[in-house]
Amino acid sequence: MNDLWIETGWISLNHVGETLCGDKVEIHGGGDENLTLVLADGLGSGVKANILSTLTSKILCTMISGGIPLEECVATIANTLPVCSVRQVAYSTFTILQIRNNETAHIIQFDNPATIVLRKGEVFDYPRTTRVIAGKTIWESTFPIEVDDLFIAMSDGAEWAGVGMTMNFGWTRDSIADYAMANYLPENSAKSTASLIIDECDRLYGGRPGDDTTIAVARVRNRHTVNLVVGPPENKEDDTRMMNLFFGKKGTKIVCGGTTSNVVSRYLHQPIVAALDYPDPEVPPISTIKGVDLTTEGVITLAKVLTYAEDFLDQAKLAPMWLTRKDGASLIAKELFENATDVNFFVGRAINPAHQNPDLPINFAIKQQLITSLAECLEKMGKHIRLSYF
Amino acid sequence: MKITICIGSSCHLKGSRMIVEDLQKLVKDNNLTDKIELAGQFCMGNCQKGVCVTVDGEAFSLTPADTRTFFEKDILPRL
Repeated sequence: MNDLWIETGWISLNHVGETLCGDKVEIHGGGDENLTLVLADGLGSGVKANILSTLTSKILCTMISGGIPLEECVATIANTLPVCSVRQVAYSTFTILQIRNNETAHIIQFDNPATIVLRKGEVFDYPRTTRVIAGKTIWESTFPIEVDDLFIAMSDGAEWAGVGMTMNFGWTRDSIADYAMANYLPENSAKSTASLIIDECDRLYGGRPGDDTTIAVARVRNRHTVNLVVGPPENKEDDTRMMNLFFGKKGTKIVCGGTTSNVVSRYLHQPIVAALDYPDPEVPPISTIKGVDLTTEGVITLAKVLTYAEDFLDQAKLAPMWLTRKDGASLIAKELFENATDVNFFVGRAINPAHQNPDLPINFAIKQQLITSLAECLEKMGKHIRLSYF
Repeated sequence: MKITICIGSSCHLKGSRMIVEDLQKLVKDNNLTDKIELAGQFCMGNCQKGVCVTVDGEAFSLTPADTRTFFEKDILPRL
């Protein structure tokens, strides 16, 4: 196994007026394990399409990740899908992306727009073969992956964005590829890449999508560890031990909290230089300590980070504002959600006497709860989390 | 002269941002930017008495409401 990491993210827009989406993405594995990602687009829209795509994606994802041959998987779907009483067909298109051993990509596509692959930010024209299984013409591709490869799978709602409204023939796959290239940054996460494209689809549709539209992105990247320390240890004599462990880790270092910063400042023999800028009036300013990548206030900033994390996991929210903001909470959010694959939390249990004041609007006893909830959110984002208490 | 305002959690919640903004404005309006340096500092360890402000090392306790009085009574005479 190499040091690569597979990150995934997807977003759907519903057909205007529908509460259910007819597209469905199912993901198994990822990170440093084998990935199976299935994007299915059920015929029609609403509940019927939703049932078709849910069955298709779930069956394919389970069977394919279990190593069952494609023929059997397709046959199972053909025999399982309910037949539409109006159209007399059972139909769901699909794209399957598998990445094995962090080495080889295997793409299987049936009737969805062809998956776009960006390699080093340029469109990569990958080889394709076709074969017919159960009367369906299926495209297959197998090629070795490289770091920074970006796989963009989509339902045809993306291709057709804006048809008859802002465009004559919709957006087309080529224009989506151009848009993805123009907005490509190696550090953009899978989820934010998907958000960027889906935002544009939504704009072209004038906010009223004429079809369910889904973008699912897988990104090949290097692992990156972020270490975050918050709160001084319960016993002062543990300060040095905690600092030794924290600074002994490789990766980005984030220090949260005033008292914690003082501990770090003493340990590194470097002064804390505080700024007085308030890019977000709700979040206290950040500081700088030489040797630390980011120094912020503690509990107010982290509470904000947690709300950003919950929003980020909510599929309904589009491009997040913390991506470009410069306040402490946004900077932490970007580092944890976008850059990190592994996060180590160093949590001190000391109680700050000032925080016991019942007049304050935040209950500071929630600090540890805050960290636990944040860790859960990060796990849902597919990251490896380690919590140590002092 | 250096005025340091605490921007730690507790003082932030008690309104240190408003004090920072008021002081920045007062210093500018009185053309004192070359005489007074404003700085932030994390928790000064005196949270109960927040918002904590120090003037050349001497500690003061402020609320956003009395920033102007503080500026006129404790800052201007020292210059």
